[in-house]
Amino acid sequence: MSELLTGLLQESISGIALGCIYALIALGFTLIYKATEVVNFAQGEIMMVGAYVNFFFVTQFSGMAGGLNGWVFLAALFCSIIFAVFFGIILDYIINRPLKDEPVFSIIMATISLAIILRSLTAMIAGPISLVPISPFGDSTIQAGGIVISVLDLAIIISAIILMGLFFFFFNNTRWGIAMKATSEDSEAAQLMGIPVKQVYRMVWVFAAIVGIISGVLLAPRMALLDTTMSYLGLKAFPAAILGGFGSIPGAVVGGVILGIIETVSMGTLSFHFAWIKEINDIIVWIVLIAVLMIRPDGLFGIAKVKRV
Amino acid sequence: MKGRYQDENLKWIPILIIAIYLFPFLIKNATFSYKYYLYILNMAGIYIILTVGLDLLSGFTGLMSLGHAAFLAIGAYTSAILVDQVGLPFELSLIITPLIVGIFGFLIGFPALRIKGMYLGLTTMGFGFIVKRLIIALREWTGGSAGLQVSKASFFGISIKNDWDNYFLIYTFVILAVIIARRIVQSKLGRAFMAIRDSEQAAQASGIHLAKYKMIAFFISGMFAGFAGVLFAHTSHFISTDHFDISLSIFFIVMVLVGGIGSIYGAVLGTLFIVLMENMFIPLFKDGLSQYMHIEAGEFQVFIFGLIMLLFIIFQPQGLYGMWLKMRIYWKLFPFNPRKRFT
Amino acid sequence: MKRIVSIIILSTLFWTGCENREGSPGITDTEILIGNIQDLSGPIKELGLLIPAGSNMYLDYINEQGGVHGRQIKMLVEDHQYNPQKSVVAAKKLIEKDQVFCLYNVVGTSPAEALRPILEESGVPLIAPATMSSSMADMSRQAAQYIFHTDAGYDLQTRVLIDYILENNPDAVIGLCYQDDDYGANALQGCAEAESNHSISVQKEAFQRGATDFVGQTMNFMKGGCTDVIIGGIVREPVTIMKTAQAMNYKPNFYGLIPTVDPRVGLLAGEVGEGFIAPYHAYYPDSDESGPTLYRELCDKNNVPAKMRGIYHYYGFATAHVLVEGLRRAGKFPTRERLIKGLETLNNWESGVFPPITYSRNDHTGVESLYLLQLQGGKQIAITDWRD
Repeated sequence: MSELLTGLLQESISGIALGCIYALIALGFTLIYKATEVVNFAQGEIMMVGAYVNFFFVTQFSGMAGGLNGWVFLAALFCSIIFAVFFGIILDYIINRPLKDEPVFSIIMATISLAIILRSLTAMIAGPISLVPISPFGDSTIQAGGIVISVLDLAIIISAIILMGLFFFFFNNTRWGIAMKATSEDSEAAQLMGIPVKQVYRMVWVFAAIVGIISGVLLAPRMALLDTTMSYLGLKAFPAAILGGFGSIPGAVVGGVILGIIETVSMGTLSFHFAWIKEINDIIVWIVLIAVLMIRPDGLFGIAKVKRV
Repeated sequence: MKGRYQDENLKWIPILIIAIYLFPFLIKNATFSYKYYLYILNMAGIYIILTVGLDLLSGFTGLMSLGHAAFLAIGAYTSAILVDQVGLPFELSLIITPLIVGIFGFLIGFPALRIKGMYLGLTTMGFGFIVKRLIIALREWTGGSAGLQVSKASFFGISIKNDWDNYFLIYTFVILAVIIARRIVQSKLGRAFMAIRDSEQAAQASGIHLAKYKMIAFFISGMFAGFAGVLFAHTSHFISTDHFDISLSIFFIVMVLVGGIGSIYGAVLGTLFIVLMENMFIPLFKDGLSQYMHIEAGEFQVFIFGLIMLLFIIFQPQGLYGMWLKMRIYWKLFPFNPRKRFT
Repeated sequence: MKRIVSIIILSTLFWTGCENREGSPGITDTEILIGNIQDLSGPIKELGLLIPAGSNMYLDYINEQGGVHGRQIKMLVEDHQYNPQKSVVAAKKLIEKDQVFCLYNVVGTSPAEALRPILEESGVPLIAPATMSSSMADMSRQAAQYIFHTDAGYDLQTRVLIDYILENNPDAVIGLCYQDDDYGANALQGCAEAESNHSISVQKEAFQRGATDFVGQTMNFMKGGCTDVIIGGIVREPVTIMKTAQAMNYKPNFYGLIPTVDPRVGLLAGEVGEGFIAPYHAYYPDSDESGPTLYRELCDKNNVPAKMRGIYHYYGFATAHVLVEGLRRAGKFPTRERLIKGLETLNNWESGVFPPITYSRNDHTGVESLYLLQLQGGKQIAITDWRD
């Protein structure tokens, strides 16, 4: 019995780490959806760009510093975030500005084409050969009572919590955050009230880019090899965003974590005891999602919008 | 009868249909590699049948579907099993399979009664993953992930052997599908769909049974996809789960959007545009360019494709059909066109 | 602007269709045109760079020596993004428009399988499809007479590994971690054969293509008490599984299939990967046979960067031998039928890269034996003789 329990605990902890990755990507979806009602299909690609850019900075700085140390990674992270700011502004100019008054469908399509462009452009610049990402924490692990967790996973969990806290605070307690809320409610009314809607949109894209790039930086060392297929994880984060309720920040994190745990436990303990689970391992997440949506059509944390006729 | 097509010039339609049937003879004379072009046109034709159905669902009823590749897959596998393993004739499968896929559409319609907007889009996307997994799990019939070989079709005694025969088979059904879709759109059913898209509450208030019409929309859309699936299986002769990737579903929506959402002709144009662009024009463009400089196939082609799509959506957000309408108005008002309206 | 664009597009369409060639397609007095379909922008685009680069290296070497019967070999590479539909489009383009003589090295099982109807219709041979699934060599399938498979199948690899494990430890509890697609399906076939041969039962765990997390699978092997685990992945999977197991203090013997014979497995896994065993079906690029020696010479001559050298680059180099030999045997006036006939005359043919290959009318399986390599000190060392 205790073996079963340790197994479950171990899988849950790994699942939480995996779920936090989903949560970080879902956070990116959520931010943009919250302000503009656009589902950004390029979030996975933004994450991939982040991983590549960070890899570039790490190799550059370690060349300059003559070796790898903590400062190299910090400096690379800092530069990646600065890159993310510019990246977000550019995305706003390319995707959001020209299509501001068009139907949401058009912007979604623009994000799909953006995803294609980013993926091919990254592959053209970086070359098709996979890179070997370097983890700032090496392979070090922490053991506690028979349960193992890698330091990297711990860092992922902590940063997901910190980012969620920051954004939650930002949206509820700062002027800009409230302006964003107002914009997402009704952008025309917000404009009339003197809120600089354009800047708000730009800020949202910048935030989404920052979250995307940080998730890329954190995820890259978790995969042994870095290639452009990493962007497909963006699709896996969709259920996380929906489960929590698109547009809810705690929802994104909770949704991500729930799905991460379900995925790992179903692959581990569940499929060990029930062989048929193996057949549905990769869709169990979607089954849970559809079941939840049947009961709560707006996700766990979503609020049903009242539509006026 | 005349009142139905008030906005268009009916006399062009028979000419267009004749042109469709004459087209293969034209390219057979023009180029020796006509089979390559015909194959791509056939592929576009199959996708047109599907996207027309998808347009009825997403464009006219406003129900987003990101799982239409799954309907295509169900259609293809069902027909392959019915014809090759059960032994039904192809003609019968053409009737039964769309009905079965329609029933699947009906089942997906249930969540749609509660789930809306992007939530529905992503639910249908989940449905796509589930179907793919089911196909692999039912490996006794479907061959699992190794794929399934499908026999050639024979249509009322005429055996459909190659791309040439496929063209006539497929485009006959494309014409049928477009005509049927046009009739649906202009009937009471179509108006009910549009009312639901524009405002569910208003539609309900004016006596439209939401649940019933949404289910019908899914059923019809599923039937179109099932039709496309039958043709897909028996003209490509090999189907596997890799054919019906999630990206294909996204591409179907893109085709509808590029054409201009909410117009049947738009779906046709959009599908032709995307399929020809991706599989024919860009590779040929690359071949032409690589005579002057060194270009590898692959990423460059994908990049150009993405770029064209992005520029297109930024400069023509109403899609191809919207572009065509604008051009038509432009020529009608030619000497007196107010410049600003037509940029 | 719109008009100009459409005129350009239409003119390319017609201009490309205007040239015509005489005689057998793809053969001129000075040139043989070969079509290759690779994944250049999909999930395994790395192979799309490495495999044709390896092939081109050998073909260039042959061309420098005067080519085959005085004809230079030219290879066209198309992209299929690991999508069978696009693979068919690319094949149609190569066969109908570019008029290639034969197809060579189509990567991936389903993209290669999807070509069967075309091969049958147009009579174009497909030499050395770059997929190790043994279904390509199944003579009962459609168009099988046009396909010449070179590799030892995943089923054979799995069987040989299980035989080896049981030889060394008859009480071994074996686990198989397979990719849940056509790759894994073929490995499962071999596993089922071995299970019935030895009347054992293998614990099987699946993972999805592109998965990054293997905690569940590793835990299950641990709970099942597996002493030997076979990992049917590429690079990421064996490395991550071995590291995960290490962190959990679970130390079985690890084995992989041919795609895991990648130098990066040793590089990334470091000490954890020590003792990792995988089969291989050609003379290893580091060995002293004639093929590998030539390979290293050509690599040095062409300044192939170290990160490109490896089994995939070598794979392109090796399979090109079969292609060139087939073209040689097709004679001075090659046709597609003569190419097929020529390849079917191969009898215990020593290429220098593969063990002796025999093709006949009813046998298009290439290599049917394997040997095992073990990671020792970051290097792959052969530990057994050829086995089948």
